Amino acid sequence: MQIAIQGIGVVGGFGTGVTEMRQALLTGTSNRATLDLSNCGTPLNIPAFRANISRLTDYVPLKALRRVDNFSKLALLGAYLALEDAGVLAEGKQERLGVVIASGYGATGITFAFLDSFINDGDICASPTYFANSVHNSAAAYISIMLGATGPSSTVSQFHHSVPSALQTAWLWLAEGRVDRVLFGAVEELSELIGYAWYRQRGTAHKPEMTPLLTGVESAIPGEGAAFLLLTRKEEAQDGYCLLDRVTTGRLLKPGFLSSPQDLLVLGADGRIEKGGDYAQLAEKSTVACFTALYGSMPCGPALDIAIAALMLKEGKTFASPGGGICDFPASVAAGGNILESHRVSCLSLSDEDCFGLVSLAKG
Amino acid sequence: MTFAPVAITGMGCICAAGNNLNDSMASLFRGMRAPAPPVSFTSNHPIDYPVFEVLNFSVPSDLLRTSALGLHAAREALADAGLEQEMLSRLTVGVCVGTTVGCAISNETFCRELRSGRTPKLAPLERVHRSNPAAVIAREFGFSGPCQTIVNACSSGTDAVGLAASWIRSGVCDIALAGGADELGRITYIGFISLQITDESPCRPFDRNRKGLNLGEAGAMMVLESEQVRTMRRKKARSLVLGYGSACDAYHLTAPSPDGAGLKHALTEALACNGTDPAAIAFVNAHGTGTPDNDRVETRVLAELLPGVPFLSTKGYTGHTLGAAGAIEAVFTAACLERGEIPANAGFSSPDPELERNPVTENTPFSGTVALSESLAFGGNNSVIILGKGETA
Repeated sequence: MQIAIQGIGVVGGFGTGVTEMRQALLTGTSNRATLDLSNCGTPLNIPAFRANISRLTDYVPLKALRRVDNFSKLALLGAYLALEDAGVLAEGKQERLGVVIASGYGATGITFAFLDSFINDGDICASPTYFANSVHNSAAAYISIMLGATGPSSTVSQFHHSVPSALQTAWLWLAEGRVDRVLFGAVEELSELIGYAWYRQRGTAHKPEMTPLLTGVESAIPGEGAAFLLLTRKEEAQDGYCLLDRVTTGRLLKPGFLSSPQDLLVLGADGRIEKGGDYAQLAEKSTVACFTALYGSMPCGPALDIAIAALMLKEGKTFASPGGGICDFPASVAAGGNILESHRVSCLSLSDEDCFGLVSLAKG
Repeated sequence: MTFAPVAITGMGCICAAGNNLNDSMASLFRGMRAPAPPVSFTSNHPIDYPVFEVLNFSVPSDLLRTSALGLHAAREALADAGLEQEMLSRLTVGVCVGTTVGCAISNETFCRELRSGRTPKLAPLERVHRSNPAAVIAREFGFSGPCQTIVNACSSGTDAVGLAASWIRSGVCDIALAGGADELGRITYIGFISLQITDESPCRPFDRNRKGLNLGEAGAMMVLESEQVRTMRRKKARSLVLGYGSACDAYHLTAPSPDGAGLKHALTEALACNGTDPAAIAFVNAHGTGTPDNDRVETRVLAELLPGVPFLSTKGYTGHTLGAAGAIEAVFTAACLERGEIPANAGFSSPDPELERNPVTENTPFSGTVALSESLAFGGNNSVIILGKGETA
């Protein structure tokens, strides 16, 4: 069975919405900001791709957001953008809509705020609001509540494998007829905790630009953001982006697995030195693209790759890979602005647990 | 939609009631339970709330306790299924695990050091990173199939089994190891106390004087197997996944919808999966946390959709094991189907006039072959799984 991508909602260092993402893809530039770690005993800022959630109030009154944490706000913004992009925002209550959320780290900001609440004032002063928001599926819950989505709701948390794994669930729900639509989304926030861990693990000697297609070099810059897709069965699809042809996940991917080298392969390589070699090996002799330098290194990145691939298929054109001019992968890097010759685009992501996800998209 | 049943050929569990399925079942039918203040951590909260802790269980230093509990149950389930490494290596085996704590990037010691201006080492966070419950099991046994960790709060374990059945039916894998795992810890202990849904006494699901839940910890796993593989190795099913349904209340972050709309939807969907007649349900293993809201909603829905069907909560023996709850209750449900008997609902003594139904108060034999286990969760999730009696009983 094939699934259609009907709408896309994205927010990240490149901006908010498909139009701003497209503009960033055309110019190859993104807004790099910083993450302040001064509350972590580390008086410094590290470069980071930050997401701006100010447009959320276009969809949800500020009053309704007063108890919602930053992670869930990011998710809500992505969700509303995807529904708006698909032209279904005005439909009201979504009774046959399922919600699937992927996040590598979850709501780390509110989780540590909850810990702060009893570290500072004793166990009896723990904040119930923070605790409730720190539960992993709180973002999915807020989306379901605000949209009136009474279909199933699921959240997957598995670091860099979260996106393809969760997308497989969305696929199965549609294939089995459990729902008519799935709002699939991936979310990551850059909290102080994630920033501190990044700093301790990778230091401060950042390259000025990410070069994700260069092996043996650490060039990753952390990012945050959200990418949402509104999915339907092909038969029920109206004007949309493309078809979701296949989602394959598993462990212990071997070279030669990618059986269609003629398809454009979007790599999830994100400048982390430990993964570059694996991507290079698997991409051998393929035509590749890589867009992580637009949004940064984050576990939900593969969902942004899917969004970009869907946009390429809809427009029938390629986008240049930011930072792709510096490449030692044994592969050809697709040039930007060309006619997309392949009928399909596949997005490959690799995780630290030896898991892989291959999401294949086809022209609709 | 009509879905083919999926065979369950092996089961394993570890919880406060026992370190394996046989011991746990024996405790349930003897009415044994021993909730007590936590041993593995302390709290400066003025009240010692009882918990159901797994004692005498050692955890490798490089793993979270959650993953170790899951791994322990997985080993028992695979042995029970008679699946050895050589055969497993020739098959596509998936792992689907529900949890809450197993994915939480939170460590109190780390946070305290960070807040005091020191620069803590990343070891506690790296341990979380190495301990994703599904990944740990897949890595341990060298499985190559799909691998997913579900974090749907207290319905995670039920959802993991329901999704794994879909994997088998769709051919995504030949065998799926599915279940849940969650450990007890200070953070969840303090969190649930802050929500004021924790009982100072041993929990009393469905009782008039119930005041909330007691936390517990557990790991529980099932081996789901394709008909092709099961036929090839002539393995009988211990139980069958007949149906699974899930729906969201879309009502409140932590409270169930008072009318039980989501639970009704999930239950109806689960029954429809295989055309199960509600009259065929022999018993219901309810979520039954012992919180006033949960038990009120559950009994209301059971009275409306499954009137007269006996039900119980096993949380009086295990505590609320959060992400593992749905899995361990599915395992108990399948084991009760084999046995033809359900245990008494521990902690229940005074009927609540506000509730439309009461649970079983003593060990109760039955003659049916189909049973149902349900989970309600934060976020408004409601998940229901319907199991059938297998061939070995």
